[in-house]
Amino acid sequence: MLTVVGLIFIVALIAPWIYRVLQDKAGWVLALVPFSSFLYLASFFPEIAAGGSITQSVTWVSMDLFEVNLAFYLDGLSLMFGLIITGIGTFIVLYGSGYLANHAYLPRFFTAVLLFMGSMLGVVLADNLISIFVFWELTSFTSYLLIGFNHEQESSRKAALQALLVTGIGGLALLGGMVLMGFASGAWEVSTLLNEGDIIREHPHYLAILLLVLGGAFTKSAQFPFHFWLPGAMAAPTPVSAYLHSATMVKAGVYLLARFHPVLGFTDTWMMLVGGFGVVTLLISAWLSLSFTDLKQILAYSTVMALGTMMMLIGLGTELAMQGLAVYVLSHAMYKGALFMVAGGIDHEAGTRDVLKLGGLRSLMPISAIAAMIAALSMAGIPPLFGFIAKELVYEAALGANFWAVGFITLAVLANIAIVSASLIVAIRPFYGPKTETPKKAHEAPFLMWIGPLTLAVLSALFGLLPFIVDSKLMVPVASAVWGSELDFYLSLWHGINLPLILSVVTAAAGVGVYFIWDSIRESAPMKVYQMIFARFPVQVYESLVNGMLNLAGFQTRVLQNGLMSNYLITIMVAAIAAVGYTFFTKSGVIFNPDVSEVQIHEWAIAFGIVISLGVMLFFTHSRLTMVVAAGIIGFGLALIYLMHGAADLAMTQVLVETLTVILVVLVLIHIPKMKESRSILYNSRDAIVAIAMGTLMTLLIFAVTAVPFDAFISEFYADASYPLAHGRNIVNVILVDFRALDTMGEVVVVAIAGLAVYALIKMTRAGAEKDVKK
Amino acid sequence: MESVNELLTISPIVIIGFAGLFVMMLDAFTGNARWSFYASLFFCLAALAGAVQNVLGPTGTSFYSLVYYGGTASFGAVLVLTGTLFSLCLSKDYLEQTGNHIAEVYSLVLFAAFGMLLLVQANHMIVLFLGIESMSIALYALAGLLRDQKKSVEAALKYFLLGAFSTGFLLYGIALLYGSTGSLALPEIAEASDKGVMYWAGVGLLFTGFFFKVSAVPFHMWTPDVYQGSPTTVTAFMATASKSAAFVAFILVLSRALPDTSQQWQEVLWIFAVFTMVIGNLLALVQENIKRMLAYSSIAHAGYIMVGLAATSGAAYSAVLYYLFAYTLMNVGAFGVVAYYECHKNCDFTEIKNYAGLGFKKPIMGILMSVFLFSMVGIPPFAGFIGKYRVFAAAIDEGLISLVIIGVLASAISVYYYLSVLVYLYMKEDETGMVMKRPSTLYSLALIILALLTIYFGVHPGLLTDFLGSFYSVTW
Repeated sequence: MLTVVGLIFIVALIAPWIYRVLQDKAGWVLALVPFSSFLYLASFFPEIAAGGSITQSVTWVSMDLFEVNLAFYLDGLSLMFGLIITGIGTFIVLYGSGYLANHAYLPRFFTAVLLFMGSMLGVVLADNLISIFVFWELTSFTSYLLIGFNHEQESSRKAALQALLVTGIGGLALLGGMVLMGFASGAWEVSTLLNEGDIIREHPHYLAILLLVLGGAFTKSAQFPFHFWLPGAMAAPTPVSAYLHSATMVKAGVYLLARFHPVLGFTDTWMMLVGGFGVVTLLISAWLSLSFTDLKQILAYSTVMALGTMMMLIGLGTELAMQGLAVYVLSHAMYKGALFMVAGGIDHEAGTRDVLKLGGLRSLMPISAIAAMIAALSMAGIPPLFGFIAKELVYEAALGANFWAVGFITLAVLANIAIVSASLIVAIRPFYGPKTETPKKAHEAPFLMWIGPLTLAVLSALFGLLPFIVDSKLMVPVASAVWGSELDFYLSLWHGINLPLILSVVTAAAGVGVYFIWDSIRESAPMKVYQMIFARFPVQVYESLVNGMLNLAGFQTRVLQNGLMSNYLITIMVAAIAAVGYTFFTKSGVIFNPDVSEVQIHEWAIAFGIVISLGVMLFFTHSRLTMVVAAGIIGFGLALIYLMHGAADLAMTQVLVETLTVILVVLVLIHIPKMKESRSILYNSRDAIVAIAMGTLMTLLIFAVTAVPFDAFISEFYADASYPLAHGRNIVNVILVDFRALDTMGEVVVVAIAGLAVYALIKMTRAGAEKDVKK
Repeated sequence: MESVNELLTISPIVIIGFAGLFVMMLDAFTGNARWSFYASLFFCLAALAGAVQNVLGPTGTSFYSLVYYGGTASFGAVLVLTGTLFSLCLSKDYLEQTGNHIAEVYSLVLFAAFGMLLLVQANHMIVLFLGIESMSIALYALAGLLRDQKKSVEAALKYFLLGAFSTGFLLYGIALLYGSTGSLALPEIAEASDKGVMYWAGVGLLFTGFFFKVSAVPFHMWTPDVYQGSPTTVTAFMATASKSAAFVAFILVLSRALPDTSQQWQEVLWIFAVFTMVIGNLLALVQENIKRMLAYSSIAHAGYIMVGLAATSGAAYSAVLYYLFAYTLMNVGAFGVVAYYECHKNCDFTEIKNYAGLGFKKPIMGILMSVFLFSMVGIPPFAGFIGKYRVFAAAIDEGLISLVIIGVLASAISVYYYLSVLVYLYMKEDETGMVMKRPSTLYSLALIILALLTIYFGVHPGLLTDFLGSFYSVTW
């Protein structure tokens, strides 16, 4: 299986070259790739039908914490999805080469669609949780490329980004869920995880896991309230919509929940969340499909409805629901793929997709008309088509629900009424009735474009008439895989006259009724409001969220990053005060009890002098010179304190450094433009508060430091060693010129260099002044 | 013989220190910047070989326990030198094309690298401080390299003033730690039993100093200005080598000097990691200049790395080392592509909106940029994904689940701004009709190697991750 996925990826990358060589024939050659994969997967039929499963594994990343194996797991469920992906994929490649013939980006289409196919196949076949996530995100990304295929159009780009953001973020939620699941059970392989259901369900993180996984699945499968991206994604070329947005990618969420149903399912939370969201989506989108006239929009909302149905079935979690799910997924892939392709054909040949502008195409496009009719009837659930069996099972499952059965069946019937009339709109409106003027002169689509829909439509009829072809071989293994243990059932068209059949008749009749009054329903005010609330509003919420984030970021930039050095400094200081202060006060239980009795009156005087200078600096001056001088005074004050305590050398250094600094700064100041006069009291107060906080913190630090008992080790060493080793009686002198002579030299050098800088600056200033004079 | 062996333990430092002086002299006597370039490349390779040899060898301390070699420290040296080497490879063309080919660049880069190497191998606070300062002073000068451009001068001044300010914090922190523990050697600080006020004040200030160097929010303000104002290849050097060095030193301080109190300082890292990830990503969203965008993205990356530091386990530290490696590859690469575009003078290629349609004009450059950006987003199969995954997984293992959730959400934001560059490259039409130059062989070769490494370590990370895990004898 690795070979299959790998082969698709490799062919995807060389597709442009293949196209360059083969030109028009490239579609046929490239279609061989999904087709051979289809045959390869089909070769597993006997084993799967016998109830077996297949695991293949190649170690990819072996890391201490976990192993990412390129492991593949094939059972009924993945086989069905694999067959859908490769089978419909074959037709899509052919269809695409016809639809986009002569399009400049055709090679790019092949690459992207094959990349997508490989990723999608990866999602359904992968056994390892991490690989599933990897492939999952790859499908989001490749679908981004495909939706934005016509990238000259702003709307295409927007839709592509919207789809990517919604599904990509959902994918991250999924990653979270999977990682939690992996850690909770210790199993990273789906095949082993399937047996760990009880551990997961009883794990304290069960709810978190469930919500995260559902977040991934609901966004991908366009469940309410994330349903808006799918109709938006119709900006993609039709082959893409047919493939990604009906048959495969949007079903990834369904696949995921079906896959994990044995692990996460069977709880009340699961049933209510999955079933509830499913049924709400089902109802809302079914009727939304009637509010549009664009074929692709109608089909898109009916797809959302189908996805809702699948979710509901997964949520119901009964044996019947599992059977229904298996049949529904398969039948939906076939009829919806066919209908999308037909819609694309109409668009391609007639130049419009608006049903109001189409009519009477039956004689011009007979094959398309037949395909559309069969597929649409299957979608409407009319016997003897496969869709009928599917819908019967859905009704039976809804009736047999363990909870809210009446609610489920009512909503399902209501939704299906809308779907019946939507199918009629799609199948009848464009093909019957009076001929209309279309932008292009319509004629039958080329062979490449009708072979796909026709085959799928015929298969829908075939499976409906002869359901035993698929039931025991495929449907039973699928339903068993979702259920978690063996199921046994068979499919048939005729179940006798029972409640589901009666409901089907009611649905069909009501649907036809709705079809006839569709024009007035569509234009009615309630429908407009309905459309506004459920189709437009979610998009607006999404847009305002995205814009809101951008605005927030912009606001932050203005506040935090406004280019003013003083603001940067203030922020840093505040953060430092907060960080150090926090650590300081929470991590230490020291009570501050400074002893000030020994402080002399003149020391107080100096201290106040310093404080006053600070005040002058902060509040009462707009002149930089005054500030520098005030800062200098503080320095000299400190030097005085040193001197009083007998540290003459320290005082000396302080005076020297302070003098040099003041001179340096003053010399630099000459070159700097004048300060703005208007510094508001608010700014000054802010600065003052920060400064006082900083000062307080530092003072407290000093107290804390002085509170620690003094280790006399070093002073004793110098006192003992000064005379015998250095022959000096003044310890300070000895330290300066003997023990630490190199340090002293370093200090002298620094002061000298600073002096040189002062000299250079003075010279520069003089030269500058002379230049000014000359001017 | 003894002293030769000791010298070998710091061979990268010796080689790069000598190289700095040599290149400076070479310039003085020949005045030919090309010679300086080739000489720097040669020495860098030699130093890298030395570092690789050390990283494969045993761990230990030398020079009276002042330096630490092998393991994390020597891997730090490998990180620094990888960043330096590749930034150098890109520098010559870029500086020549933009008309700033000054030979001093090379000696300054080498002096900065010397400081970084000292920093990563420090086993003693004084050596650490010397490293940080030699690195920073050289970087201040590099930031102001384009003296005739206002932005560059402004950036250098801001960087210098804020940097000097934070150095004060760092030094004060070191002094207080010395006061409370009686030693400056990292292992001896860990041994001290007294964890009083002074200790905590010291730790707080030390953290503040480190936060500034790794540009954690809210000490990040200098980053975008400096990254924008400096020549792009120098920015690549600053963004990768200096950040890796600071983080490796931070790991060594945390794991070797402060292991006993990890419970307490973990919270601090937690808070700052959240700020850094969220604000870094949010601010990156609105940038229109690609260098500023990459600056904020590097801040966001620092946030993810801090998640790893907050996890404080051996697994997390080795994950961070892996992350730094991936980070170095993809960032030098991305800046390299930007620098290539910038060589075309008639259009301002630091503005993202001018990237319209470039992806098709020079397909290879477009693919390279895509690889680097995807890796930054953390999309498999690129190295960035494995890095992010391992860091987050290690944090989950330590029970920091809410922190990881914030991290994942923040990185979800990042998808938007990285991909918007790709949208411009591939999905908008070019209107200028400019003809793009051909990059030189060395230039494209360097970028292609970076991209291949990014892919290789994304597809096959096992070798490196197992090796990095062995530093902390992590066996899961």
